[in-house]
Amino acid sequence: MKRKIGEVKNEKAIIVRELIKNFESIERGKGLTGKIKSLYNPKKKKVEALRGISFSIDKGELVGFIGPNGAGKTTTLKVLSGLLYPTSGFTQVLGYNPWERKNSYLKKIATVMGQKNQLWWDLPAIDTLELNQAIYELPQNTYKENLNELTELLEVKDLLNTQVRKLSLGQRMKFELIAALIHRPQVLFLDEPTIGLDVVAQQKVRDFIQDYNKKFNATIMLTSHNMDDLIDLAKRVIVIDKGEIIFDGKLSDLVSGFAKEKTIKLYFSKDIDVKSLENIGKVKKFSFPQATITVPRESVAFAAAELLQNFPIADLTIEEENIESIIRRVFRGEKK
Amino acid sequence: MNKYLQVGKISLRQEIAYPINFIMWRVRNVIQILLVYFLWDAAFSSPGRILFGYDRDKILTYIFGIMLVRAFVLSSKSMDVAGEISRGELSNSLVKPINYFKYWLSRDLASKVLNLLFATIEIVVLYFVLKPPVFLQGNLLLIFLFMSSIIFAILLFTILLFIVSSVTFWAPEAGWGAHFLLTVVIVEFLSGVLFPLDVFPLAVQKIINLTPFPYLVFFPLQVYLGKLTSPELVKGFVVDALWLIVFMYFLNKIWKKGLKAYEGYGR
Repeated sequence: MKRKIGEVKNEKAIIVRELIKNFESIERGKGLTGKIKSLYNPKKKKVEALRGISFSIDKGELVGFIGPNGAGKTTTLKVLSGLLYPTSGFTQVLGYNPWERKNSYLKKIATVMGQKNQLWWDLPAIDTLELNQAIYELPQNTYKENLNELTELLEVKDLLNTQVRKLSLGQRMKFELIAALIHRPQVLFLDEPTIGLDVVAQQKVRDFIQDYNKKFNATIMLTSHNMDDLIDLAKRVIVIDKGEIIFDGKLSDLVSGFAKEKTIKLYFSKDIDVKSLENIGKVKKFSFPQATITVPRESVAFAAAELLQNFPIADLTIEEENIESIIRRVFRGEKK
Repeated sequence: MNKYLQVGKISLRQEIAYPINFIMWRVRNVIQILLVYFLWDAAFSSPGRILFGYDRDKILTYIFGIMLVRAFVLSSKSMDVAGEISRGELSNSLVKPINYFKYWLSRDLASKVLNLLFATIEIVVLYFVLKPPVFLQGNLLLIFLFMSSIIFAILLFTILLFIVSSVTFWAPEAGWGAHFLLTVVIVEFLSGVLFPLDVFPLAVQKIINLTPFPYLVFFPLQVYLGKLTSPELVKGFVVDALWLIVFMYFLNKIWKKGLKAYEGYGR
């Protein structure tokens, strides 16, 4: 059989079909009597964390996974890394069923949860790394090579022998990343990798994730509340809310699809009457000589012409609505 | 290097990461031995006194034996498993190509090796200072059987702890209660830690000997003291091994079920 050229390029790393995950929890009553009651008459509560989501991710793709708290992002990542048993549906990563947690599968993936640490608190980071070398059965030279590369990229080489508890949060997060990537995984599940870091450290970690993705053609799924993470890193985003996918596509499409308005920033040369501005668009901010108004996308040219004709304008710029506010609107459930 | 050897190595480093804590722990051990020794020595000070069929020498040997075997068998690192499950830290191990049971067993053995090393030094010193009238076993076969029964006991207790810890998969807050029930109520009572089990009537002893608990402390000690006849030895080891197999099977089942219910709490 002849193979089409396109097939190799579009090799799927992750396939998820109709994935459902329900959690069952027992509601505990209030106070002592309620607690005792729940012992012999437990009220079970079903929580539908994922309601049949489907998506697939190509090899080498870097996808941002966004949604409000409790939307199901972490649950999805946990199912894919084999931690949670799916209620129903099909999941496949690199041809493996994650739930089986075969050693050969676990050697190819890495899961980093921003709030879970694997470093041994009382020992220097190098001890945890050596332990991982043994666990992942890395030959000495591969290990040394990876270690060198990672510590140089993240600039923490001279901290290898410092007790972990004495490291700053940012340094610790970097070592968490190194510990998770020392076996050079092909698929990465990153849950809030920049949580709690300062702006400089965030940027370092972001650059690093991007480098790693490019250099090793690694497939990366990343969740974050930090919009900068997504804008910088992910071309494609999957928006999830209440266990359902509400958008899957290019970040730029999300923006143009949801951005109904454009922002016009104005600088006036003379004082004007604010009221007359309101005839043209919504006034968001006014403090002479600056004003910010928003107008519908389709009438932006008309509004600009109107402004230039009837007002003493010194300068005028037209901007897209910023991504953060769009995503906020998406989460609030606004439709296109 | 083998992964479980490396787990043992890092566990050792962890144990001695704080030398002062470590030294204080050893000092506590020595003081404990001294206290127990003087207590029982005083209780049996009048010559010829016999309690539960034990005279001074026998009870002292039993008490020392209990302390050693207990410290070695019933102090298990795997106590933390329930906590790891309820805090969701189990996730860290699950995403790695490592067997969780063997991981804890390696950590436990490392800590036991360290414990044994220091305990031996302390006991040799104390022995020459106090010169207690204790019984030293000279029969090499019995010493070998004693060590085998200790290894059985360690495995049995670790598996029991894992089974009990599995409760946390379904009831995260119940871990402590379940442990208390196992380690304090059942084990302390039925393993011979509180008193020698041969103070019970023979019929009761027979029943207790069919449960797994005497094989944790009492049985190894009886083997060491040479108190068992050959048929009793064989029977003991057979029951011991049967329990091990049953529990291993059961743990395997319950653990698989537990993982399906696992929610990786904490986030």
